[in-house]
Amino acid sequence: MSDFRGLEAVRAKIAAIEATARADHGVLPFGEAQIDGRLPGGGLPLGRWHEVCGDGMEVETAAAPTAFTALMVAPLARRGEVVWVLRRDDLWAPGLLGLGFPPERLIQVCARDEAEALSVMEDALGTVGVAAVVGEVEAADLTAGRRLQLACEKRQATGFVIRRRPYGGQARREATGSAASTRWRVASAPSEPPAGEFGLGAPRFRVELERCRGGRTGAWLMEAAAAYDSGAYSWETTDVAHPLRLVADLGDRQLAPAQRTAVAA
Amino acid sequence: MRVVRRLSAVSVEAVRLGLRAGQKATDAAALVPDLVTAEAEPQADAEALAALADWCVRFSPAVAIDAPDGLFLDVTGVDHLWGGEAAMLTDFSTRLAANGLPFRCAIADTPGAAWALAHYGQDGAIAPPGGQAELLKPLPPAALRLDTETWAQVERLGLRRLDQLMSIPRGPFARRFGRAALTRLDQALGREREALTFRRPPTPWFARLAFAEPISAPEDMARVTVDVTAKLCARLETQGRGARRFEIAFHRVDGKALPLSIGLSLPGRDPTRIAKLFAPRLDTVDPGFGIEVVTLTAQDVEPISGRQARLDAAREASVEEGLAPLVDRLVNRLGAERVWRAQPVESHVPELAVGRERPFAPAAGGKPAEVRTWNREAPRPARLFRRPEPVEAVMALTPDDPPSQFRWRGQLHRVRRAEGPERVGEEWWKGAIEDVRVEHVRDYYRVEDETGARFWLFRAGLYGDPDVLPKWWLHGVFG
Repeated sequence: MSDFRGLEAVRAKIAAIEATARADHGVLPFGEAQIDGRLPGGGLPLGRWHEVCGDGMEVETAAAPTAFTALMVAPLARRGEVVWVLRRDDLWAPGLLGLGFPPERLIQVCARDEAEALSVMEDALGTVGVAAVVGEVEAADLTAGRRLQLACEKRQATGFVIRRRPYGGQARREATGSAASTRWRVASAPSEPPAGEFGLGAPRFRVELERCRGGRTGAWLMEAAAAYDSGAYSWETTDVAHPLRLVADLGDRQLAPAQRTAVAA
Repeated sequence: MRVVRRLSAVSVEAVRLGLRAGQKATDAAALVPDLVTAEAEPQADAEALAALADWCVRFSPAVAIDAPDGLFLDVTGVDHLWGGEAAMLTDFSTRLAANGLPFRCAIADTPGAAWALAHYGQDGAIAPPGGQAELLKPLPPAALRLDTETWAQVERLGLRRLDQLMSIPRGPFARRFGRAALTRLDQALGREREALTFRRPPTPWFARLAFAEPISAPEDMARVTVDVTAKLCARLETQGRGARRFEIAFHRVDGKALPLSIGLSLPGRDPTRIAKLFAPRLDTVDPGFGIEVVTLTAQDVEPISGRQARLDAAREASVEEGLAPLVDRLVNRLGAERVWRAQPVESHVPELAVGRERPFAPAAGGKPAEVRTWNREAPRPARLFRRPEPVEAVMALTPDDPPSQFRWRGQLHRVRRAEGPERVGEEWWKGAIEDVRVEHVRDYYRVEDETGARFWLFRAGLYGDPDVLPKWWLHGVFG
């Protein structure tokens, strides 16, 4: 019991140190206790930057990470503009609209190389009126990550880095350390249309929270319940649920990598 | 056809030997056997004249080219920078002479009078305001820029001086020499306006800094950029205006002018912001032996309101303070085509349904009454390939079924669920009717494979024609 108390005290101390290092900018809760409970402060921390990556072919197309990021950013678009920094200009506004993301709040920027993409991200993060910045980057090393973090803190904007090799090739070996607040690994999952209906159901994603500062990791099956449905979700109303809905808990994270290799093989 | 070679220009020495422009080359060679000639290069001459016009911008923003060998400078309202027309003309002559160019110049109220004085009057003549008539009187009629026919007519009548022409009543003058000649006379005397085609539109929004010593250090260039911007912006501020384009020109000692321009998405007049946009590109300016003058012009000047103080103006204020400068920085760094906002375009063809618009650009022809948007309910991929990619090994039932499997980028996908078809026809009304083909019809399917990956496939063409088999393509990926 005393050991446990001691651990709690150390945790509180660490939290206090971290809190003084940077002001708390609030969180964006998913509205699902299983997910929010694992994130520090009960939701996706704002004023930080987050990493989203995919697997296999997704390293080039980044389709599932794109859709997942657009869904996470959609509630933030209410607070200001969103800047999306691309390397390859294949992001398609009608598709984002279908997911529930407002294209009229989106400024797209096509950078010529990785360094430029990172510097545009930094510039945009430090601008008044920008709520979130999404950047497609192969890898943000520790220095670049730290710079992004400082830019996020300037105006409380939230950054999202989609790990992507826009022109294919082998994926770069993952950097061991990262300054990101969270890292999500996202893959598409088979959809389940309601019984008796043909076609595809709402888009589903297998989401793994691989890293989480001040929180715990987890894996879930999530669904964009309101995609391709004009009535169900509107980004403009203020008190609506998060566009992503929890479908199932994928259980122990240890199982997930094994499952992933099975799919890739 | 026989081509007669003629002298197109002659040097001062040649004139002394009795040669003149327009003379046959053979005649000239007979008169002066050791005559050195060079081939005329009208194109190069025009380019040199354009370069000279750019150089003259240091004296006035409004410079018009008078082909083949003349320039008009509108010095209205700029001579005070030199302390009067005489001082300005002296400075102009000194600098032009230092470049080794033979020239004649004059200042008058009208372009016509200035042209006449520069060509036929005393070099460096300055006509006092309203006094050009006196100075024009002794000049020959050719000073009126008449066409050859009228000029021959005037000569035939024995009129040798302009005052003889001026004394003819207007009616008979127009009858005898034509309306064009009367217009020329009126233009010279200031009774009629003459429109000049300025190389750049004349703008009163012009600032200029001249230095006693030429500068070349990068930090000096950055400082003068700030100074000249502050000078112009102070004027914009007092008039309650802002501009969307700024063009700075560095005038080098050797007579070259190096321009840089930047654009703003919202009209602005904040000198530090504008100077900052120039700053990253200053190192592309090669100062050579030094820069002696820097000029700045503002274009697309429009009234802007002052700072908004209303509480509910939070969003507008943030656009002016944060987003518009961000867009400007990005556009000036990456280029205008790399920063955009997607805009709906009315088209059935998916790749044409998205237009690009510059963020915060003014809406053309006022604000559209209704904000158009794409159809939210039609599933569209988040990533659309610029060129659809071919897929192989497609198994699909004819005529209309979605594929049950396909191979894309070397990987076989077994389709688990599918939706479609959504038929997209060709926009046949836009091209020639002969080009309309059934292969251009696309049937789109949204399919999901066993792992859950979702794709947007289409079949180009229809089954039925045994010669042309429809082809399958992958156009985009859903998340």
